[in-house]
Amino acid sequence: MADTATIGRLLRSSTAGYVFGCSVPEPEVPLFGAFVKAPAQRGQTEVIGLIYDITIEDDPFVRQMVATPDLPEAYVEDQRVNRQVPIEVSVLAVGYRDGGGFQQALPPQPPITLDRISQCSPAEVLEFTSRFDFLRLILDSPDAPADELIAVSLRHAADLRPPEDRTFFLREAGKELARLLNRDLARLENLLRRIRP
Amino acid sequence: MALELNKLTQQVDALGANAAQRLAELSERLPAAHAMLNAIGVADDELHRKVLTALTFRWAGAIPTAEAINAAFPLPAHPARANVAAADGSQIYPDRHGVALYYLVNVGSIVFRHGLAQAPGTRSQPEVFYEDADLYEEDGGQIPSVKIDAERDLRELAELARLAQAEASSAPTVTLLDNGLLLYFSLQTQDQKLIEAVLRDYLSQLDHLKQSGAAVAGVVDRPRAASVIRLLHLATLEPEEITDAGLRDLGSFRHMTDAMLFDFLKPGQRSALFVNASPANQIYYKPRDHTIYFFYLNAGRPGKDALLRIEVPEWVAKDKAKLDLAHAAVVEQCRVSDGFPYVLMRAHELAVVTMSERREFDQMVIGALIRRGLSPSISQKAQGKTWTGAGKRRYK
Repeated sequence: MADTATIGRLLRSSTAGYVFGCSVPEPEVPLFGAFVKAPAQRGQTEVIGLIYDITIEDDPFVRQMVATPDLPEAYVEDQRVNRQVPIEVSVLAVGYRDGGGFQQALPPQPPITLDRISQCSPAEVLEFTSRFDFLRLILDSPDAPADELIAVSLRHAADLRPPEDRTFFLREAGKELARLLNRDLARLENLLRRIRP
Repeated sequence: MALELNKLTQQVDALGANAAQRLAELSERLPAAHAMLNAIGVADDELHRKVLTALTFRWAGAIPTAEAINAAFPLPAHPARANVAAADGSQIYPDRHGVALYYLVNVGSIVFRHGLAQAPGTRSQPEVFYEDADLYEEDGGQIPSVKIDAERDLRELAELARLAQAEASSAPTVTLLDNGLLLYFSLQTQDQKLIEAVLRDYLSQLDHLKQSGAAVAGVVDRPRAASVIRLLHLATLEPEEITDAGLRDLGSFRHMTDAMLFDFLKPGQRSALFVNASPANQIYYKPRDHTIYFFYLNAGRPGKDALLRIEVPEWVAKDKAKLDLAHAAVVEQCRVSDGFPYVLMRAHELAVVTMSERREFDQMVIGALIRRGLSPSISQKAQGKTWTGAGKRRYK
């Protein structure tokens, strides 16, 4: 299994998804709609997920400082770098990888506390998105903003493909969405507009 | 719920009424105290003679300096670049009902580099004490909490001295403590040998701070002292009335505090400097050139006063640049955290041992004991507290 840099550690989890914490975010990670992975079953599986929410918590100390006029940068750096109020990143589980490759279904077991979370490599995203069964998991999610998440993650997966393959990929995804949303045409139309090549 | 609040409603109501009545009564007497402060202005020879007499009675008042005692000094400019360091400590006292006998001291510190857009340096340094020599007195008794407090205070100051030596060469540096510089512990114990041993180390750390070139200041929030009030009272006494009893009975100044007296300070202003007349200052600090001075400082903002008592050693009080730096840095730090220095809040945060951390540490200790074949357990009394401490269950 490919090893990539840790972007955070797990705070809490369930088979439906997990929340990880990280310190100050980098410009490129974590991003809404990005594919991430976390080990489970003592490394036997990796839970693949999509980031659907990034929350920055406050506390009374920070609230007090918000009202300070001309706040010098060193105070800001202290709060961001030293106090490490965790940034909470919510992830929707959309599949897992076991000995047989990627499965687009809920994982048999969630990752556990303090497990390392890392970004999926481009090759992993390409392989995972070669099928579209994961779209149903997103549409069924009670928590994630499903339409937005589908649009962003499909665009991201399309951008990783050679330019000549992108249109085909998005059309195939659109066909799957049409099957899943054949009773909600207004929603389908909106989604298709978002992913139109 | 063991505390039956319904049985306290009348008493709490009376408490509120009592506080309001006391404040009204003190407010009536305050103008006379202000008038006295203004009448004295710069202390004359007669008042200084009275102070000298009072000192022979272990008087705990404020000794006036050359500054007019009713003066208000404006906020000096803050240097564009300065270092502000702070240290604070916390402890876990030994618990004979716990899984093992130990105590722990944790010191947190921060160096804030004003003028640089970089995160401050922070540190947290815990140490656990478990040897017999740490835990027991010569007579076999368990170490008193006052000794652990002294150990913590010493470590706080040593940390400031370490930071001062590392930082002072880069920019003007002031180091802050979250209490007075006159060790309170000397009032809490009769053990003269202990007092002298602790103060010897404490004063050595003040030596190191002085040598570093940094300033040091102790910050007391919501001060309750009545040192300057005692000076006003002393000024009203005739020489023959300066006795133990005469100094103790504050008459019309009774229950007043310096904080009430210096309510005229506007945000940013400091009061005059005074010397703390405490015997510990005269006996221990003065011979080592660390005589403790103090002033009051309004570190608040328009509409919200925040009076602090700031204690500084003589070599800060008499060095205008250092005194101005301490004054300006405390006010600037308070601007961000609304009345108490930011760095002291952060040092406390870095030092404090929370209940959950304490539980986790106890688990570490239990693990270490089990690995050595021991069977740790807390006392039945402590166990009972864990059973009942969450409050009574109620039928719903």
